[in-house]
Amino acid sequence: MLHVNSISKTYHSKPALNDISLTVQHGESIGIIGESGSGKSTLGKIILGLDKPDQGEVHFRGNNLHTLNGKALKKLRRQLQIVFQDSAGSLNPKLPVWKSVVEPLENYPDVIPSFLKEVRHNRKKMAEVLFQKVGLSPELLERYPHQLSGGQKQRIAVARGITLEPDLLVCDEPTSSLDVSVQAQVLNLLKKLQKDLNLSFLFISHDIAAVQFMCERIVVLKEGLAVDSFLTEDLFSQSRHPYTKLLVEMSMEQENKIEENQHFYT
Amino acid sequence: MNIQMPRINRVPFFFKNQNLLIQCGIIFFIIITLTTLIGPFIVPNDPLTANMSERLAPPSSAYPLGTDHMGRCIFSRLIVGAQSTLGITALVVATVALIGIPIGLVIGYIGGRLDTVFMRVADGILALPEFILAIAIAGFLGPSLTNLMISIVFVKWIAYTRVVRSIVITERNKDYVQAAKVGGSSNWKIIRRHMFPQIVSPVLVLATLDIGKVILTISSLSYLGLGAQPPAPEWGAMLNDGRPYFQSAPELMIYPGLAIFFVVLAFNLMGEGLRDKWDVKSR
Amino acid sequence: MIENKTTATSENNLLVVENLSVTVRNSREKLIRNLHFSIPQGEIFGLVGESGSGKSLTATVILGMLSKSLEVTSGSVKLGQSEITSLSERELRNIRGKEIAYLSQNYQSFFTPFIKVGKQFIEIIRCHTDMSRKEARKVAIHWLNKVHLPAERVFNSFSDELSGGQLQRAAIASAIMFRPKLIIADEPTTALDVLTGERILDLLSELKEELNCSILLISHDLKHIINRTRTVGVMYGGRIVEIGKTSAVLANPIHPYTDLLLQSRLRLNKHIQHELPTMLGEPGLIAEEGCPFSKRCPSVRESCSNKVPMSSLGTHHSAACHLVKAEREERYVTR
Repeated sequence: MLHVNSISKTYHSKPALNDISLTVQHGESIGIIGESGSGKSTLGKIILGLDKPDQGEVHFRGNNLHTLNGKALKKLRRQLQIVFQDSAGSLNPKLPVWKSVVEPLENYPDVIPSFLKEVRHNRKKMAEVLFQKVGLSPELLERYPHQLSGGQKQRIAVARGITLEPDLLVCDEPTSSLDVSVQAQVLNLLKKLQKDLNLSFLFISHDIAAVQFMCERIVVLKEGLAVDSFLTEDLFSQSRHPYTKLLVEMSMEQENKIEENQHFYT
Repeated sequence: MNIQMPRINRVPFFFKNQNLLIQCGIIFFIIITLTTLIGPFIVPNDPLTANMSERLAPPSSAYPLGTDHMGRCIFSRLIVGAQSTLGITALVVATVALIGIPIGLVIGYIGGRLDTVFMRVADGILALPEFILAIAIAGFLGPSLTNLMISIVFVKWIAYTRVVRSIVITERNKDYVQAAKVGGSSNWKIIRRHMFPQIVSPVLVLATLDIGKVILTISSLSYLGLGAQPPAPEWGAMLNDGRPYFQSAPELMIYPGLAIFFVVLAFNLMGEGLRDKWDVKSR
Repeated sequence: MIENKTTATSENNLLVVENLSVTVRNSREKLIRNLHFSIPQGEIFGLVGESGSGKSLTATVILGMLSKSLEVTSGSVKLGQSEITSLSERELRNIRGKEIAYLSQNYQSFFTPFIKVGKQFIEIIRCHTDMSRKEARKVAIHWLNKVHLPAERVFNSFSDELSGGQLQRAAIASAIMFRPKLIIADEPTTALDVLTGERILDLLSELKEELNCSILLISHDLKHIINRTRTVGVMYGGRIVEIGKTSAVLANPIHPYTDLLLQSRLRLNKHIQHELPTMLGEPGLIAEEGCPFSKRCPSVRESCSNKVPMSSLGTHHSAACHLVKAEREERYVTR
């Protein structure tokens, strides 16, 4: 469905992405792991057509995303949506949140998502259904972003991401600015939605545990290079790239210490 | 899920005092507007009728504030003068906003070379002091209120464009604008729906504060003889008229001076109040 | 009660917070309620809690940087011999930076982007001492080396030429230059990935040994601080709901909040999970009366709406929850 063909991108004469290729099949979720500055967010922006690569192409359903424009691009874009990391910045502070959620639906009057069939004529009702889908009470519809908690805002951002029933949802660190207890809630929600709506995910994160939970395949980025790519069940395999191993080791070490501590007392 | 919000956004106590300031400003504002609108119909005397036998008369029941050097009723002239002073000011500020805001929105949003070119032009115009410009225009086109307005508008719109442009530039890179793009919103829609609400409050504040400044500019230019022409009652022109009699009859300058002072103060209070209020809310 | 015990017994406590309450001025809204904890010399104390728990606010009180709209209504904060809450602004400025160092989550904006990092170091040093530029440069290089940075290169760089980890290190270097007695690290690793984050924590523990200072480590994620601290306090709704030796708390988390916090942490698993264990509700959901967590608690009881006192469970562990009693009884029976 999505083919990223050896793209490169340079920012301020520093290479941000170097010859990255990947494919996403329908209904599949791919995780992109990398530390800050590894170019993972840039990759997400390029795939969404918000940024142009210096070299290489992105093909979505057979169309080159960066040569299209006008109506064709708009039509294609409908299938590509995003959930940003910073839930505070991704909602317009001066709009009641429900308006942000239904905005994409106004732009595509012909699109009738399966879960909005009955209410497609009424914007407020659509927002209500979407809120329900992401586990929010309809009381919050009229609130402004600053009146909501981080977790609630992120749920709203997720709701906006799925309004058009896209094929691919890019999640750029969707949980890393949230509290721990809320992280788990949002991840569960995303996973459930993926199943219900048969979405493909491009899940960008620096947290290997979150990626393991969410994704079937993982690509590891380091300084703009894809150093490793594998199925999630092979995460612990010996043939992993040393950098991947290091990441796994670090996380496991943390875990082991916690467990050791727990056993020490009991 | 039953969700209750932490109540953090309470207004701190020192704010209540500032609310008082806004309230004063607003009350002033209402009084001023009413005076401007209905004043001319209830004034005791015709502001233009000269009565040389009654010149420089002290306050009396016929002339509440006395008469000026031509025997005209000062009170009536002040009230009718409010209309020209404030009406022109409102017209100037509105024109300036109408020109400045759209240009700022477009330039800020599109950016790039257009932005660079605009900024150079703006710097050039801003380098001209508005007084000198007004004098120059008056020299070319002759002194009149219309020409005065043109010269003020010519310089002022840039301030609005700049404010709007800088807000748009910071906002346009934020995630919510990107999200709107991903959601298929056109540039026009993004400007209208996402950019415009961001600039409303800062521009309103700017305009309220500007009204005070424009009143002062009009009055001072009229005082210099470049604006309203006699015998039209305009506060600045009234000040000018009273100048020769400053020693013998200072009230000729004191009344219009006080009027300007209070109106400017009212608008400034309101502007500052609004700014404080909106600043907190945007946080 | 344990917190009284710890404050009373150990003479070598560097920081003692006693019965601290902070409210919004001219309102009854309490942001911190009756906070009790102490940090011994040379130890790392962890403070965990979600947003709105008051953990960062606690740090601001200790730094004496409380916003004008808030006020300390009761209690004391003692650093060594000095009582922070009653110091003047000038005295506080002296303490900040010299005796207490503060590391914020926002290391990205710690350095001005237009001035070279080294020059900013020299300025900070010359602000606090009367060293010459040359001497200051030496000191700066010394501390940059201490945090394992390529000192000369970083010294001559602009902040946007450094990576997140490097910036955080440089920020640490500038914070510890005056050998503070206490370092407050507010979410120092949250914005970093596992690798860089762990290395930063390694560095902090190493520096702690070297400078013999104490560290107050604040985080929303137990996972980040659990392996580094000797004692840990868990905050919810402005109150410490559980406090004790980290190992004891870990082994036997009594307060349901601590327990759920532990369970809902993200971890790598040999077997892929289908659903993560979660906590109900939002972090802002705080009960005004009684136990602040009672609105989200799975084992809530009627008595939770009354005031729940801290009760101890062993010498180094205590929690404010009715479950402590049950736990004690159980132990008694099994013995």
